[in-house]
Amino acid sequence: MIIATLLVMLVTVYILFDYQRNDRESLARAQGLDLARLLGGMPWSELIPEAGRQGLLEVLKRSHSNPDFAYGAVVDVAGKLHAEVTRAGVIVPPASIAEEPASWLGQQVIASGDGNTRFIESHAPVFADGEHRGFVRLGYFEPQLALSFSQMPFLATLMLPIFLLVPLFYFMLRQEIKPLKQISERFDHLADKAGLTHVELQPSRALSDFMEQFNSYIEATQTRIEALNQEHENLQMSSKLLTYRNNRIDSILQNFPDAIVVIDEAGEVSYANGKVGRLLSVEHEEIVGKKPREWCRDPNIVPLLTFGDVKSNMQANQDTVQVRLEDHSEKSLQFSVYPLFVPNDESRILGRLVVIRDVSEAHLMRQRQNEFVSHISHELKTPLNVMAMYSESLLTQGVDDEKYRIEAVNVIHDEVERLSTLINNLLAINQYELGGIVAQRKHVRMHEFLEDTFDNVTKARADKGLEFDLDIPREMSMLYIDKDLFRIAVNNLLTNAIKYSKPGGKVSMTATEDDDQIEITVADEGYGIAEEDQKQIFNKFFRSTDDNIRQQSGHGLGLSLARQIVLMHHGELSFTSEQGKGSQFVIRLEKVSTQILDAAAS
Amino acid sequence: MKKILIADDEPHVLRVLKLSLEKEGYEVETCANGMEALSRIEKQHPDILVTDIQMPLMTGEELCRHIEEYIPDRDFLIFVLTSRTEIEHREWSRNVHNLLFLEKPVSIRNLVDKLEEYFAGSSDGLKVI
Repeated sequence: MIIATLLVMLVTVYILFDYQRNDRESLARAQGLDLARLLGGMPWSELIPEAGRQGLLEVLKRSHSNPDFAYGAVVDVAGKLHAEVTRAGVIVPPASIAEEPASWLGQQVIASGDGNTRFIESHAPVFADGEHRGFVRLGYFEPQLALSFSQMPFLATLMLPIFLLVPLFYFMLRQEIKPLKQISERFDHLADKAGLTHVELQPSRALSDFMEQFNSYIEATQTRIEALNQEHENLQMSSKLLTYRNNRIDSILQNFPDAIVVIDEAGEVSYANGKVGRLLSVEHEEIVGKKPREWCRDPNIVPLLTFGDVKSNMQANQDTVQVRLEDHSEKSLQFSVYPLFVPNDESRILGRLVVIRDVSEAHLMRQRQNEFVSHISHELKTPLNVMAMYSESLLTQGVDDEKYRIEAVNVIHDEVERLSTLINNLLAINQYELGGIVAQRKHVRMHEFLEDTFDNVTKARADKGLEFDLDIPREMSMLYIDKDLFRIAVNNLLTNAIKYSKPGGKVSMTATEDDDQIEITVADEGYGIAEEDQKQIFNKFFRSTDDNIRQQSGHGLGLSLARQIVLMHHGELSFTSEQGKGSQFVIRLEKVSTQILDAAAS
Repeated sequence: MKKILIADDEPHVLRVLKLSLEKEGYEVETCANGMEALSRIEKQHPDILVTDIQMPLMTGEELCRHIEEYIPDRDFLIFVLTSRTEIEHREWSRNVHNLLFLEKPVSIRNLVDKLEEYFAGSSDGLKVI
């Protein structure tokens, strides 16, 4: 504001001085020419004073009030000075005047000898006796812009109102600008997305039209913004819905139990869920957008994901491959390929959906079952084979040989026993698997039960050259158990102990009873169980790879079944074993649980 | 006398086969697993080998493959006693020549007849059944 004021003041001063200068210049010109002509009309002798007398020029100098007057001179036609008056310090500059009469009366601007000062010179011809004798030259300083102290008070009085008026004007302007400023603020608000409101002002006359238009514009804008907001909200809603649906579908696909790959017409993967990478040991990022042969390391799999010409082979098909993984484990993967038809056009397909299922478990199960069936058929047919041979030999020969007859009948009897045990085990395990087994509990005298079971097993194997030892309390509680099932469990423990004993070893069964439980221990001094096998011995179909164990026929069912039977009686089957020294299997039965059942039953 | 080697882990089978075949006039040797059978064969080739499949140490299948590999010019017949009849359980035997399956339960009469037939045929040279 101050700068503006000073500027205004400066400009004012300048204009003032310039005006003054122009004024003085025109005065100098008018006066100069006028006086020169007047003087030129004087007789030559009047102009050139005699010695000791003041001439007209001196009169002019003394009487002339114009401060710009610099010099006066009379020159002859040749330009020679005949009389002169000057202001202090001024030397009449030489000047040439054209000879033509037309330019005898005139003005010109000439510079002083040193060139620092410029003069406005007026000249007029002087005649004597009708003859042109010379010129009168009158010089005025060319007015310059100058500040004189004498003008200060005047200037000060001039500046004061300006100094006061400019701020006043400024404030008035501001007042006028205010509504505009408010409008500008609204615009700022608009930029800040704040709500738009009308600009309520007492508008000055000039602005009122503008304000009206502005307000109506704001109204229109507001309606538009609201509409846009609504639209935006709707869009956001549908976008959210879409995202949700998308996420849901993605989540479904991601959590699908099988790996899913979509191969497009170009043979590139357009979608793959997370399981693909895991199943095929590939980083997920490597898969999408690429052809299977670019990322799939297994040469057996690539052909299953590559289809050549899309148009050919539109059938869904299924294939299973064995895949060897980096950690050398083997997996069975089932590839199911489904063509993705263009909706409403079954003759064209967009690509193919490949579902990869890890069927290792099922494959392993099938393998085990195959092994099992093969094993069982062997186990079933071996005793049958022996019986067939002996009975056939009895039919065709040797009936006369009493010793052979007894041997044959004994063998056949033993084999029948063996077959029966096996069939019982199989039936039990089958029933258990089908969930159809229901314990047929009865009150069982444990002493008799254990003694009977032990005898049955050991008597049949008396020829094995083993030492059998039974140590059970004479008085034992009655337990509420399924006698047939429980016999299978104890039987299996005992036959195992005998099967895997070393020649001359001891097989013992002991039982102890306290207030809470009964413990039945079957111990042997046989080959024991290798440490790496210990975790697995209760697994169905598990058989040790130990040669000593392999030498004995078995089907990997006995322990698994025994444990399940004990668990059914809410008991516990545990073992300790040391390779080369033998094993102890312990059945623990809570008396309480059987008593509760007892009470429930009665 | 024709020599017959029997490999089976079931002692009763060994005993009854030995008795029956000896009665028919064969010289019978028995062993309890494939390993033992192989070492016997290495010492002396029998005229007939009768073997079970499931045996400890070395199965009948392994035994036959070994024999085929190490005695490719073998001139004796192998009878394999098996519990399985499905073709896929006999797949392994495709590359073993001069081999016959006998399904369990085995009839001794049947075995004896087959042996007689075989030796009758092979009296004027090896006959592959």
